[in-house]
Amino acid sequence: MNLVARIVARDKNLSVLVLMTASTLTVLVALLGGRFLSAGNLQSMSSQVSEFGFLALAMGLAMLTGGIDLSIVSAAVLAGIMGATVMSGQLVPVTESNSNALMLAGILAALVTGMMCGLLNGVLVAKLSIPPILATLGTMILFTGIGMVITDGQSVPISIVSYSALGATTIANIPLIFVLMTVAFLVMGFALSRTRFGRRIYLFGENSVALRFSGVRNERVIILTYVTIGLLVGIAAVIMVSRVNSARVGFGESYLLQAILVVVLAGYNPYGGRGRVISLALGLILLQSLQSAFTILQFNPYVKNLIWGSLLLLVMVVNYYVARWNPLPVSPSLGPKEPGSASGSTGSSVAVTHRPLGKDADPDPRASVEAGGQPG
Amino acid sequence: MKTSPFRVIFNRPSTAMEKYLLTIILAYIVIVALKNPLFFSLETLFDMLRSGSGVMILAVGVLLVLISGGIDVSFTAIAVVSGYTSVQLMMALGIDNVLFAFMVSIAVGCLLGAVNALLISRFKLPTLIVTLGTASAYHGLMATVLGTKSYPTGAMPQSMVEFGSANLVVINSETGRYGLTVFLPIVIFVLGLTWFILYRTMLGRQIFAVGSNEESASRLGINITRTKLFVYSYSGALSGLMGIIYFSELKYVNPVSLVGSELMIIAAVVIGGAKLTGGEGTILGTILGIVVVQLFQSTLVFLGLGSSWNDLFFGAVLLMSLGVMYYRQRIQDRKSLVFATS
Repeated sequence: MNLVARIVARDKNLSVLVLMTASTLTVLVALLGGRFLSAGNLQSMSSQVSEFGFLALAMGLAMLTGGIDLSIVSAAVLAGIMGATVMSGQLVPVTESNSNALMLAGILAALVTGMMCGLLNGVLVAKLSIPPILATLGTMILFTGIGMVITDGQSVPISIVSYSALGATTIANIPLIFVLMTVAFLVMGFALSRTRFGRRIYLFGENSVALRFSGVRNERVIILTYVTIGLLVGIAAVIMVSRVNSARVGFGESYLLQAILVVVLAGYNPYGGRGRVISLALGLILLQSLQSAFTILQFNPYVKNLIWGSLLLLVMVVNYYVARWNPLPVSPSLGPKEPGSASGSTGSSVAVTHRPLGKDADPDPRASVEAGGQPG
Repeated sequence: MKTSPFRVIFNRPSTAMEKYLLTIILAYIVIVALKNPLFFSLETLFDMLRSGSGVMILAVGVLLVLISGGIDVSFTAIAVVSGYTSVQLMMALGIDNVLFAFMVSIAVGCLLGAVNALLISRFKLPTLIVTLGTASAYHGLMATVLGTKSYPTGAMPQSMVEFGSANLVVINSETGRYGLTVFLPIVIFVLGLTWFILYRTMLGRQIFAVGSNEESASRLGINITRTKLFVYSYSGALSGLMGIIYFSELKYVNPVSLVGSELMIIAAVVIGGAKLTGGEGTILGTILGIVVVQLFQSTLVFLGLGSSWNDLFFGAVLLMSLGVMYYRQRIQDRKSLVFATS
């Protein structure tokens, strides 16, 4: 029992999440059986989750710094429109010979647009000190506006046939885009837990003032973080465009709430500094399973809205109680302290402060973050 | 310099943001008027007053929430939910009275706002995420329970249609008849009431105090929960009021409209000088912010630009205003060696 309690105490949120995911999956399999576990459903689940996974990863990154990025969906749409415009044949007519080059150019255009959007957010937040929520609110409106002016609200179709194959390509029955997302999760997990940049992101979220006074160029960390978010958003755009084969303003609007939902579900602290990529992967599995169960059960979009909204509230209330609950009946000072957590190899680990509410002796998040989990 | 009329009316100097917005508005009006003299007419003004009334009421609620240090994205959902609930109730009971509609709608809005407040203060949760959740949940609940049937002008309660087209003053001209909407006195009443609450009552002081520093406010003996309960219920009630005005103005009851414009309204209030970190914000600034949004939304055609330019213009103005506002703050902070975390 003691061992179980100790494992649970190591990361309470993760434990709760594992339990929730496992029980949800059990219920869904018992309820829907073959329809849920069919190869077709699993395949469509894994390609839907990849489209969204990149956005969730981006939102998670913003939340680690204590910010939020409201512009991810509109940036993705803008990136998609840029990519689609290149590939639509409007600028350069598509021929047999240049279609591959155009496709590459289109993908590049989407990625660069995404990164530019991220750069703008980063500069606004870091250099002008606009709170992230406001800066990204502004850029959200701006990106949508640019997209509207370029397309006039029309959808931009893609005339390169092989591009749509990208979204449908499978490797040993696993969608290519799912493999791509898995790689992204592993890379981000590694980057956040094992690199100096990752540690600085967590530290910034924990206490940005302390980070500044430990000699880290704070502003550069933030700008880089938002550019990374932009890159993830750009990849999401590439996937979105290839799946729908066109781009249009207003596409994927519901993703914003869902991205916030899954990140909060994964136990990320909206005030920054806490959250693990492996939890995010679990949260995605949970959300996607529910999503496809709703589709199988043919719920209408309003019922889904109701469920997502209530779920978001419920999760936050549960997290509130989880944060206060201590499975190990020992005094906080004897709580598990990761060896070496306060003696990092760089000067950046000066401010190892716990939040005032952390009476429960959480293990240091930076030390306990492990290389990103493999979703699915 | 003589006392400016501004000082006389508001008993305070104008804030930097208010001056900045006034300049933008005046410059914009001059440009539009030069480009297209048709813009300068009572008709345009009356049109803008009519379409801006509902938004103005919502913005006042948002202002209060922002001053208290929170952010609410559920108010458009609350407006639609309470307005639609009240219309459905009128249809079911066969009561065709606009006062009844207002009463039901305001009560429902108030209730939904109170739920927000309780969730936020009981569990100490970030207001943005709570209201994102409740917005979705409220709207979903309404659609699931009451359905999403929409009512065109002929089928909706006729008292609402009449109310929507009622005028205080009607002017006949060669271009047609146009009138000053009855929404105007309601908006003025709401502005006056809110001004009174904010600047002439203890409650108003408490809202500012909670927004500036919740910890100090609670140590002063201010009941945080009760203050927040008021703020969110008031904002909810205003949303309920707006719901009926909105449907009356459109003369069409559509339960899936309006939701999605909340961030635009928040943005308008923010460029009016309300600080997201709380404790700051003025009613005049809010009015000016809404005027900017309304100008861009309804007058770009006078410049020969399609409505697809709305967002681009507004986004750019918003970012510039935020940049100016927060960069000044940053320089000031650096001078006095303040490195706040938020």
